[in-house]
Amino acid sequence: MSQHLIRVKINGEEHEVSVPARRLLAAMLRDDLHMTGTKRGCETGICGACTVHLDGKPVKSCLALAVQADGRALTTIEGMCGADKALHPIQKAFLEHGGLQCGYCTPGFIMATSAFLAENPRPTEKDVRVALSGNLCRCTGYVGIVESVMAAARAMAEETKEVQG
Amino acid sequence: MRDFEFLRPATAAEASRMLEDIGEESRLLAGGTALLLALRQRLLTPTHVVYLGGVAGLHRIEFDERNGLRIGALVTVAEIAEHPLIKARYPMMAAMAGQVANPQVRSMATLGGNLCYGDPATDPPICLMAMGAWVLTIGPDGGREIKLEDFFVDYYESALRPAEIVVEIRVPAPMSGVTGMYTRFVKTRAEHRPLVGAAVVARAVGGECLESWITVGASTLIPTRLHRAEQFMKGKAVTPHLLLEMAEMAAGDVSVVSDFRGDEAYRRDMIRVVLARTAATVFSVSL
Repeated sequence: MSQHLIRVKINGEEHEVSVPARRLLAAMLRDDLHMTGTKRGCETGICGACTVHLDGKPVKSCLALAVQADGRALTTIEGMCGADKALHPIQKAFLEHGGLQCGYCTPGFIMATSAFLAENPRPTEKDVRVALSGNLCRCTGYVGIVESVMAAARAMAEETKEVQG
Repeated sequence: MRDFEFLRPATAAEASRMLEDIGEESRLLAGGTALLLALRQRLLTPTHVVYLGGVAGLHRIEFDERNGLRIGALVTVAEIAEHPLIKARYPMMAAMAGQVANPQVRSMATLGGNLCYGDPATDPPICLMAMGAWVLTIGPDGGREIKLEDFFVDYYESALRPAEIVVEIRVPAPMSGVTGMYTRFVKTRAEHRPLVGAAVVARAVGGECLESWITVGASTLIPTRLHRAEQFMKGKAVTPHLLLEMAEMAAGDVSVVSDFRGDEAYRRDMIRVVLARTAATVFSVSL
């Protein structure tokens, strides 16, 4: 049926992809562009493992068609590292505070966290739990994840201070 | 998911013509958070999907004292939750929007899509109905206005005619002295859909209820306004006893669904409890 040539900016880089109308955004990233950092989990909009940013807002890429991203900007987990491949402070915090075990849900958590901290850079623990309610982890039990997010918020606040100072 | 033709109209009128030309086998796509689930489960298998994302002018939020609030059909639930004016003038609505599903769904889901889909277990219809909202449509016969009370017809069914599209949602300007609250009740924190939603909007002076608008949903086939409970409250001094009686009456007046998420007796009881508590907060009464 209908095939569409779409233009998407992904992690700052322009891409042109030809996709059938029914291609999910998550499938385009993984299967067409081989950006496998974005995970397919439940594929029913529950688990959040496929979270990416569309025009800066967190979305579940299993609940969107690739064609819906035409002309828009995406950020995926691959875009979280800087050009020097250094880990983002959120990624570092997850490593240091045991925010992951098997790691499958982690890209989704990192993307949800980064969208959340952009809106609320000084959250309470409760804020974090509410903000991550669209993401599931079946290993860690969330304590480590919440600690990681709180630590990331502190680290990013320090960074901002240094930059401003 | 079955394959389909993907159409991108530039205007709402063009979208309506496409729906008219294709007929029953077409579906409108706004944010997609609900429709994609149905497509993937093959509950819906349209041959054509008409995407509204490229239609200009449906993303606006505007307000003036005379006309009230005008929300474009493609405004997202997250945009409503974060909008400074909605937060200031319609805090009940902003608070409701901030609780829908989860952050990722809120940033894609549109208000127009939410209403048109007719899913009973969702928050905006219940809240907006109590606020006196209505929708503006365009279709083959021109446009019309439909009050939300008349908009929801049955389970996943709205009053929209074939090829008719919701372009805007309107909410009257807040009246002075009117307060309101929407409560979503979930059985466990892990649930993203309310088991019961209840809204109470009221004008009270000196402890007397002059007027009220009361709705419940999520456990009913469609969001339902409770006229008898509203009449019962009118002109009475608000006491805990009165609110409990009102909630009892309301819970008895609705026909309640029964399924694996909750049987009828449980859901009816939760309607009673949630409604009483919501009303108690609105009238600043302790039960």
